[in-house]
Amino acid sequence: MPTLLDLVKSVSFLAAMPAVAGLLITAGILVVSRDWRLNVIALTVQYFFVVLLLTRQIHLEVAAVKGLVGWLICMVFYMTERRADALERPAEAEKVSPVQRWRRWAMSARASFSLLAVILITVAAYTAALRIPLPETEVPRDITLACYILAGLGLLLIGISESPMQVGLGLLTFLSGFDLFYVAIEPSLAVAGLLGGVSFLIALAAAYLRTVQAAAAAGEGEA
Amino acid sequence: MISGVLLLLVLPLAMAGIVYILLRWLSSLAALLSVGTALGLGLAVITLPLDQPVQAWGGRQIAMGEAVTVFGRELVFEQSDRMAMAFLFFTSAILFLLAWRFAPQTLLFPMGLGLLSLLCGTLLIRPLIYAALFLEMAAALSVFALQAEGRSPTRGGLRYLTFTTLAMPGILVTHWLLERYAVTPDEAELLTSASILLAISFALLLGAAPFHTWVTAVAGDSLPLAGTFVLSVGNGAVWFLLFDFLETYPWLSSHPVFDFLIPGVGLAMVVVGALLAAAQHRIGSLIGYAALVDSGAALIALGMNNKLGVALVFLSLAVRPVGLILLAAGLSGLRARSGGDDDVDALYGLGWKAPWSTVALIAGALSMAGLPISAGFIWRWALCRALAPSSLGTALFLLVAGVSVMVGVWRSLSSLLRRPRSPEDRSVVSLAPSEGWLTALVVIVAIAASVGVGLFPQVIAPLADQLAGTYTFFLR
Repeated sequence: MPTLLDLVKSVSFLAAMPAVAGLLITAGILVVSRDWRLNVIALTVQYFFVVLLLTRQIHLEVAAVKGLVGWLICMVFYMTERRADALERPAEAEKVSPVQRWRRWAMSARASFSLLAVILITVAAYTAALRIPLPETEVPRDITLACYILAGLGLLLIGISESPMQVGLGLLTFLSGFDLFYVAIEPSLAVAGLLGGVSFLIALAAAYLRTVQAAAAAGEGEA
Repeated sequence: MISGVLLLLVLPLAMAGIVYILLRWLSSLAALLSVGTALGLGLAVITLPLDQPVQAWGGRQIAMGEAVTVFGRELVFEQSDRMAMAFLFFTSAILFLLAWRFAPQTLLFPMGLGLLSLLCGTLLIRPLIYAALFLEMAAALSVFALQAEGRSPTRGGLRYLTFTTLAMPGILVTHWLLERYAVTPDEAELLTSASILLAISFALLLGAAPFHTWVTAVAGDSLPLAGTFVLSVGNGAVWFLLFDFLETYPWLSSHPVFDFLIPGVGLAMVVVGALLAAAQHRIGSLIGYAALVDSGAALIALGMNNKLGVALVFLSLAVRPVGLILLAAGLSGLRARSGGDDDVDALYGLGWKAPWSTVALIAGALSMAGLPISAGFIWRWALCRALAPSSLGTALFLLVAGVSVMVGVWRSLSSLLRRPRSPEDRSVVSLAPSEGWLTALVVIVAIAASVGVGLFPQVIAPLADQLAGTYTFFLR
């Protein structure tokens, strides 16, 4: 049976620019998409790429634990959205298929704006990585770019969203970006544990607010 | 031997669990347990000696001053932390007492105790920068308390969490910058970067303009007493943390930018708060802007950069909860009778149905506006007097800001105290107010405390002065 080390070695070729590209795509999806299923999948994949990059900076075991915390957060989001979906469904006055919903979304001004904003932030992050590089002795150039992309897109998501889940996703994306940088300069277990705890509490708070939102919507629907 | 530090961290957490279980069935007991825990711990931090262990139950000993190491990080309870911890615990006890009557069966009790544990961790952990992580966890936990059950999600909780999250990296990275500076002292830009990062982080945490939107959101649409917890206890912990930073890193307060940045930001907060407070249609938002004015005034006091200024900040921290708690209690009582709405129009005639809530609101507003015979007056007046010789304009701004807050309250009162009339145009005032005698008693005690502090400032002013004496960062 392959060990964790073997598994990571088999995908280690991704732990450079491909992982950065993966982070850009997943974080971009989080900003543009409003479909919770896609968002949860994007966040799960995002944590995978974050762990891959982390393995270059800290012990594999610590990176794996950070990944596990991330995937646990994805599980919390998944279960919360499932529950919220069930609560809100009866309140939906209009039944539209997912395909129709996607078409509407793709045509909307918000989607265009989000996409454009993602592109702008990416360009800004790239420029920042070139002009304001993080110390290369601690953080390699490609990870610097990943940090800026995640922090920038996380901030964008926080700025343009009102929904608790979207804001939560934005906060976690921002924190992932910071974490990529901070583990390089402070690789202690205590900080890793506390940062993991912080991420998990943020996810719980967002999930709680999402549940309350769904319950309030369901209550209004019944009334 | 039991470490007192661990006791301060673990006991509130354990009690939070018990209180959470009791809350559903025995809400009064849960509330009183919360009051008792906060009060007991507050008494413990000010009475138990730090230099020697004391006998506790079963022959066990409690050593308050014993440092504890967790994962290589030290938790230390020092003499200078005593007043800060006492402030956190006693303020929480008063809040829990008011919440017993005005917000029973809310998550404020268990979450408040959990927050106390985390905020204690914030003040006790060394190196200081790790406090940012505890603060962040406290912010995430406070979201549960801020959200009123059965209502749409509040913007306040999310905004507070967002701003705290944005503040955290700056504080954490500062430590690394300072370590690099220690190795390469010729790189002065490292200190500048650290100063900028810390300034931005604390501006975010304190809700300084232009990062004040979370303050008004927390006060405006959250559970009022939970919002007050964040704005008084949580904010108080941030202030004490700021003082610890200034004391630990003297270059920060001696940075040339400090001289105009702090009072400038404070004045901006006072102006923004004063301009917007009078225009508010909702009492919740008004409380937020009143808190903004008060925080701004405290920053102006800090900007004086002398012992008097620091003492005034401590005095403001001590008396601000009095006004905020009374305002929040009054707002809770009024919201409970207006279907959760606190718009001026929705409060029409409610003053006659909820007289004690209305009285609490007025007393709290007087204190937050810094008007005479209220707790808030003692430090605002002292600040105006201290500022008048050197900066008369700022002192006048502060006075006008107080009046502006009262204008906002006056608009609410004109609606609250309007007598409901019957179709026959007769005044129909209920002779039996819907608030119980216990609520009245709690409100009377709280107002008496506010008036008492306002009339006899010599009770707490020396404590603030004594606390200011433990800091030396302004002596340069």
